[in-house]
Amino acid sequence: MSVKVQIPLPLRGPTGGLSEVEARGSNIREVIDDLVASYPDIRERLFMGDEELNRFVSIFVQGQDVRLLEGLETTVKEGDLITILPLAAGG
Amino acid sequence: MQANTDRYSRQIIFPGIGKAGQAKLGKSTVVIIGCGALGTVAAACLARAGIGRLRIVDRDFIEYHNLQRQILFDEDDVRNQIPKAVAAERHLRKANSSIEIEGIVADVNYRSIERLIAGADVILDGVDNLETRYLINDASLKHGIPWIYGAAVSSDGMTMNIIPGKTPCIRCLFPHMPASGRIPTCDTAGVVSSAPFVIGALQSVEAMKMLVGAEDVSRDLITIDVWTGAFQHLQISDAPSPDCPACQGKYEFLAARFGARTTSLCGQNAVQVVVPGDAELSFEELARRFQEIGQVSYNEFMLRFAVDGYETVLFPDGRAIVKGTNDESVAKGLYAKYVGM
Repeated sequence: MSVKVQIPLPLRGPTGGLSEVEARGSNIREVIDDLVASYPDIRERLFMGDEELNRFVSIFVQGQDVRLLEGLETTVKEGDLITILPLAAGG
Repeated sequence: MQANTDRYSRQIIFPGIGKAGQAKLGKSTVVIIGCGALGTVAAACLARAGIGRLRIVDRDFIEYHNLQRQILFDEDDVRNQIPKAVAAERHLRKANSSIEIEGIVADVNYRSIERLIAGADVILDGVDNLETRYLINDASLKHGIPWIYGAAVSSDGMTMNIIPGKTPCIRCLFPHMPASGRIPTCDTAGVVSSAPFVIGALQSVEAMKMLVGAEDVSRDLITIDVWTGAFQHLQISDAPSPDCPACQGKYEFLAARFGARTTSLCGQNAVQVVVPGDAELSFEELARRFQEIGQVSYNEFMLRFAVDGYETVLFPDGRAIVKGTNDESVAKGLYAKYVGM
């Protein structure tokens, strides 16, 4: 399954400035693993330790918070839009 | 009175507000915390819309690089060294003399926040850092006052309404605050003025909707990118998270006494020093002393002096902003050496 992942400003260093990239997987966990495989520097910004996703980001599938669905086990469909969103600070 | 009926006539025609809504706005109190780009846009919208009482709180003074996007300020304000809260109040009084506008030059920290938000119907977020936002979140939940989160950096922006007990709070969605330096700020990633303009305008209209009792107050997390024109409504939970400490009454940011002594002002190469208790500095006396060792100038709001390669701005309550360093111990050392703590 190929999906589109929106990359927020703080994670664009590892993607070479790209704000949207393709990734593969059948659920969010697999999509993020694939994203990290393509852009390894994302790992330390997105994870605390080995497993746990950093809790300063929220993840949305097709505009819906994955916490309303099955969290990281939420299944994705071909072409879905995944949004990774940290809290923005400027004012 | 005629002037006021006429002043608001165009928004009274709008069915969402009407005469009844306008009357409610006139009886409302909004506290705007932080008067930069978001804060000036929101303050302008809300003052002109006839919010009865507007309290604008900001700790900073105006610099030329602010004028690109902070719409209430001008070059005279920079030259005359007017603090943002005072300049905002002065400019808005000329736009609407029929409402109460109170500009307060102060640091928002664990000691001051509850006093500063007292009496507010809505708190509007215009700050430039996450620590203060988590503090606003705690204070809002503790006192049951809705707050409207907003942020903008680069060409991106986001906003969300937090209604205590009804919606998720900022910690429900983002339980951990990222380490400083991990997230872009306007000083490191830049900002296109339209981003805070859109977000500040959205925050203002949500505030007005809450105040008139509209049923369709936004329950989404809204994100924008003004450069691409993207606008997203992200659907979040319709209730507070049972795992959220703040929503369960544990106000860790209020309890952590954030902002007790020194705060590095993220990305600005500056450190704020706050002294405990309420000092009352005599600028005249300090200026005499500083003249011997460096350059000094002052007005009724602040005193600037340059010494040892750093520029320090002092406020009458004893607070200081030391420019030219991110090192909190350097700032504290300078303060101790020249002002005394």
